This record gives sequence, C-alpha cells and structure tokens, in this order.
Amino acid sequence: MKKEVVAMLLAGGQGSRLYALTSHVAKPAVPFGGKYRIIDFPLSNCVNSGIDTVGVLTQYRPLELNSYIGNGQPWDLDRSDGGVHILPPYMREGDQGTWYKGTANAIYQNIGFLDLYDPDYVVILSGDHIYKMDYSDMVAQHKKTEAACTISVLEVTLEEATRFGIMNAHPDGQVYEFEEKPKHPKSTLASMGIYVFTWSKLREYLIADEADPNSSNDFGKNIIPNMLAAGEKLMTYRFSGYWKDVGTIDSLWDANMDLLAPRSGINLYDPSWPIYARSPIKPPHITGPNAVVSHSLVTGGSQVDGRVENSVLFHSVTVEEGAHVEYSILMPGAVVKAGATVSYAIVAENAVVEADARVGAPPNADPKWGIAVVASGVTIGEKATVSPSAMIRTDVKGGEQA
Amino acid sequence: MNDLHGILFAYRSNSNLGELTRPRNTCSLPFGGRYRLVDFMLSNYVNAGITDVGLIVHESYQSLLDHVGSGKDWELSRKHGGLRILPPFGYVGKGGGEYRGSMEALSGVYSYLQNIRQDYVILAWGDVAVNLPVAQIFQQHLDTGSDITLVCTPNYCGTSGNCEYVTLDQNGQVNDLAIHPSTGVGLESLEVYIMSKDRLLEIVEYCTTHNIYSFSRGVLQPHLHELKIMPYIHQGYVARFPSVSGYFNNSMDLLKPEVRADLFNPDRPIRTKDQSNPSTYYGPDAVSRQSLVADGCYIEGEVENSILFRGVTVEAGAKVSNSVLMQGTVVKAGASLSYVIADKSVKINENRSLMGHSTYPLAIAKDSIV
Repeated sequence: MKKEVVAMLLAGGQGSRLYALTSHVAKPAVPFGGKYRIIDFPLSNCVNSGIDTVGVLTQYRPLELNSYIGNGQPWDLDRSDGGVHILPPYMREGDQGTWYKGTANAIYQNIGFLDLYDPDYVVILSGDHIYKMDYSDMVAQHKKTEAACTISVLEVTLEEATRFGIMNAHPDGQVYEFEEKPKHPKSTLASMGIYVFTWSKLREYLIADEADPNSSNDFGKNIIPNMLAAGEKLMTYRFSGYWKDVGTIDSLWDANMDLLAPRSGINLYDPSWPIYARSPIKPPHITGPNAVVSHSLVTGGSQVDGRVENSVLFHSVTVEEGAHVEYSILMPGAVVKAGATVSYAIVAENAVVEADARVGAPPNADPKWGIAVVASGVTIGEKATVSPSAMIRTDVKGGEQA
Repeated sequence: MNDLHGILFAYRSNSNLGELTRPRNTCSLPFGGRYRLVDFMLSNYVNAGITDVGLIVHESYQSLLDHVGSGKDWELSRKHGGLRILPPFGYVGKGGGEYRGSMEALSGVYSYLQNIRQDYVILAWGDVAVNLPVAQIFQQHLDTGSDITLVCTPNYCGTSGNCEYVTLDQNGQVNDLAIHPSTGVGLESLEVYIMSKDRLLEIVEYCTTHNIYSFSRGVLQPHLHELKIMPYIHQGYVARFPSVSGYFNNSMDLLKPEVRADLFNPDRPIRTKDQSNPSTYYGPDAVSRQSLVADGCYIEGEVENSILFRGVTVEAGAKVSNSVLMQGTVVKAGASLSYVIADKSVKINENRSLMGHSTYPLAIAKDSIV
C-alpha cells in the first residue's frame, strides 16, 4: 500500500571506533542512557513524527539488533500495514548479490522494498546519533521548497567544522557546495547525516551511481555531490537542539554524562516526546541501608549497596557494599564487588569487577589518560588493576595489572 | 504445559482499604513499586505456560481494564486463546451488588467455561501478592490423582476473620475446612484450586441449580469426605491486604532481601504493564537508602526506608521516610513525609509536613493536593 513517507535507517555499521563495545553487536545496538540502545532514538523519533514504515538496514553482527527490534512492538511499529522491517543484504538469481558496499548501495539494494510502498519521500537516518527531532517538520519544509533533497544541518564551531561534511548554502538555505571534512571551512553548517529525498529523484541517482564502477556508493561522497553537480535543488534544514554522534568511546561516555546535566539539552523525562525501548521484566531497583547514590541514573533490577556518584547504571547492575563507582557507565548485568573502585570507565554487559579491584582513574596529567573499557562478560580479578584508557577484552587475573 | 486453563477472580473489593480502593477494586491496587496485585497471579499463570486466561470482573474494573489491556505485556494477546475479560454480562444480579460468591461468578460465565480448550482449570484470586510455582502445583495435582488441589500456606498472612483454614488427616489429605474462624487453625488456604474442567462444570451446574454461590461453604465443606482434596503447601512469601496498615506492612516487607528474592524470583518474573519510563535520576544532593525505587523517578531530596512507584518526584530539600508513594506523586521542596501512603498523582506542596505512625499510616487519596 502506498505510503507518503518511508524511513530507512542505516544500522549496518560496525562502529569500529567503539572497539570492544561493538565486538559482539552492531553500533546501533550499543546500550545507552540506562534504559536504551542507540537505535531507540531514531526509531522513537520516527514514531513520534508519524512515520509508521521504517526499514532497518543491517549487516554487521545483526543478531542482537534483530532480536531487540523484534516485531517493533515497543515502538508501536508492529503494524499489519507498514511497521518496522529488518533489511539484510540478500542473494538474487544467478548468484547475484553482495554485501552493502556503501550507504547508497544499501538503499539501492532495497529499491524493491521501497517500491512496495511507493513513497513520495524517503527519510535516510543513521543509527549512531543521540537526538530528538521531528522529521515531519523537515519533510514539510522539503515539500514546501520543492527540493530534491533536504539535508539536516547543525551549527558547529569553525574548529569542529573540519571533522564534518560542511554545507555551503545561500541565505535561503539552498546548498551550492558540499565539502567533506574541509581544512578551511567556509561555513559552519555541518550535515547530521539525516536526509529527506524525493523518492523518484533518489531512485534515478541510485541507479546511475550503481552503474558507475568508480563510485564508493556513499551518500556523502557520491549521491549528494552528483545531485549538486546536476543542478538539483538541495536545501538545508536547520536543526537546533541536542545532537551527539556517539561513534567513539569518549563521545559515548560524554553523551551518557549529558543525561546527568539538566542543562545539557537532552531531556528524557519530557512526556511529549518519549523515547521508547524494549525493556526487560525487572522489579524496581534497590538501595541498601548504607547506599550512597548521587547525581546518577539507576534502572530497574539493580541493587546498590555501595557508593555511586555521577554514573549511569543500566538494569540488573550490582554495586556491593564498600564498592565505589564514579563517573562511569555500568551496562546491564555488570557487577562491582565489595571494595572495588570503578572510576571514569565503561563496564559492559555482565562484566564482573571482583573485590578490591580497581578499574580506571580520575583524569590526570598523563597525555594517554582516557576512559577505561571492560568488554562484555569479562572478569577483572580480585585486587587487579585496569589502567585508564585500557581496553580490556579478556579476563584479568587477580592481582594483575592491565 | 498447555493443558491448564487459568480463571482469575478480579472483582473483590475490600472496604477496609479505605482511600486506597475507592477508585478501584483490590486486584488493581498498586503494590511493590510498579505492580498491581493482579500482576502476581496473572504472571504465575503465564510463567507456568498457561496460554488461556479468563479474568472475571464485576464492579469498578475500569482501572483493571486499563492495566491489563489486550494482555500483551503478559504475552496473552493471542489470535487463539489468550486473555479474555469476563464482565458480568450474563449476570442478573441476585445479590444486587458484586457477586455473592465465586460460584455465582462462574455460573455467570458458564458458556465460557464450556468452551475451555484445556482439560484442567486453575482458579485463584487476583488480590494476593505471591510467586507460586503453578507448574509444580499442577504436576502434583496430576501425580496425586486428586479431585481438587488446594494451595495453602503455614505462614498466616491474613486476618482470621476473613480467611479459610484447612487441617489434614494422616494421609495428608484435607479433612476439615474452617471459614472465617476467630483464630486460625492448621494451614491458611490461599483459595487457589486446581481441578479438571469436567469437575468444574459439574460443580458449577450443581451450584446454579441449587442456588449455591459460595465454593467453600457450598461445595468444599459439604463434600469434604467424598472428594480427594490434597493441599499444596507453599512455603514462600504471601501477602494479603486486609487493611491500610496491612498494606503498609506488606510494602515494608519488600525491603527485606529474602522477601524480594522469593517474590521477584528471576526464574518466574512478575510481569506488568510496560510504560517506557526512563531510568530514575538522582540529583547531586539526593539521598536514597534502604528503598525500593521504580524507573522514571526524579529524586533530588532524601528518601529512606520507602517504596517509590514509577514517575515519582522528590524535590530538593524534601524528606521521605517510611512511606509508600504511588505513581506520579510529587513531593515539593522542603516537604517532609513519614509513615505516609500517597495514592497515584498526589501532590504534596512546599514545606508541608505529614506524619502517620507505623501502626496507623496516613493514606492520602488519589489526585489529592496537600
């Protein structure tokens, strides 16, 4: 059945800059903010924007992501007409078929899916940003300006601009030039990787791009420059509000900490724009008789008997009496035993920090200082030490230093 | 295990619960930070693999309907079977109010009972907080070849004037049933029964035609020695809700680790309506000790020895101790609460000070502003 708008969510990336956190899951499935996974943000934005048909393009380590999304019920995307669809790469007759070669190729390979819904507009999203945005407002502007493509942009500093795709635009918002990570930026309007395309236009460009053997089949590198070169109308859509790329350990840690700062601009308690998640069945969390919990997020099924400060605790986390957790992220099922200290660290799912162990340390003068990461399922033995910025993928024996 | 059908009685209201049950019947009383009482027995059924459940309701069941919805949070939203809510459509009120007894309730839904797909039926009340191993109870029923299995507990949890007690003979079979005695003797019955569908239909038919409306008085007592009634003795935690102070004490029980381990046994999780709340936020000066706190709370003040339901706000400088704050309660800056039960969406304004006593906690009605 025809849909006016279909969203396509690119969720196939490995997120290699999240290192051990994405060794078992795709980046969009990485836990975030106590209750969520990164993909909950674009998915909830879709539903809140009235988009009821979403294709999720998966490729790298899809199992956990697939089971998380399931039938889409937590996002009200379990629908008989539309709803959420997982779209992996697939084989075609005559042994034809490849992995997704790039962001544009991923959409190209699913032209058939989009044609099922025959949409007027396609919204392209990625699964690695934390933000709240009303896509329907962006689509409305796209329609009004009769653009072929509308690109959501954010004002950044001149210094940051060198790390983004920068849109140089006329005062009316029409883009005349696109520069990927320019050394000398001419403007500070950074692309957020959110596009609205008129589907009939995008379809043509995808087919032409696929025919070009030298193309890297990427929206930023190929499709957008090609459309510009051909004189299509590209418009910017100005977004102001909280937006964070969580593609690195530091930015993931930062974004979690932002949830503790009421003035950071991200508010998860606003009932008008809820972020939905698939929640496990857990009782309320418990604070013990000597617990100290301050400036932190704590989630169902957790038990805090120790001291927790400036931290984000996911569900089913245990912090034993005498343990101290500060400026850290404890993902679902993490255990910090008596006398252990976790400081400026990310402890992934079901990892165990045994008694009197020490993980991470507060910032110091050492230029190599950074957030320590303990991968999922890893055990840090009794009295072991994990240095700041260490990336621990295998068990550390008691008393050892890693 | 799919040969067991669940019937859940959810119409009993208890006037001794005062302000707490004015807007709802006892089965939809909030308990344990995020649950309604009906969640416990409903989850017990589902955790035993029961796929078809009939929920018998009568009066003031709107809040219950809101809560269970299609049953999807209990995996009971099915194309075939699943949750069926049974309002008193077919009932021509002889009692002029709620059903006079469970047999009257069952005769009101007789055609539903006839269409049950399973050979066995479990019947229970939705106003008890307990984590029952229903699969195990059913297995015992089959193994002993009983006519009726009755679940009971050695740990008295109700008030004797409202409870039923059984005593056993030397074969472990039930040989006496006392209804509402002044003091309890033997084991306290949880009024949970398993029997075959055929026997249930036979009993309901007999009761309908003989104007018998109470199962215990009209069926169990007169036929005690003709029927093989075996007890299943549940050793775990059971909470009943006879009064406001009983409700308060049961809530405080949840602060004991052994009670939580039993009631929230992770192998048999208690399910409830999902609300997509964010995690609970604790502010820089927050204090939270010895408390059970659900998701979605915003705590900047002090909380001690208390139960906080989803979405409760405790502003900076507010103090909450020995209290139960239901969903959406707001405690404004500088207010102080002790031995208080605040029903849903109560607002306690700045610097108010409210104090009950452990034997007489202060219950504040839903939506009140203090």
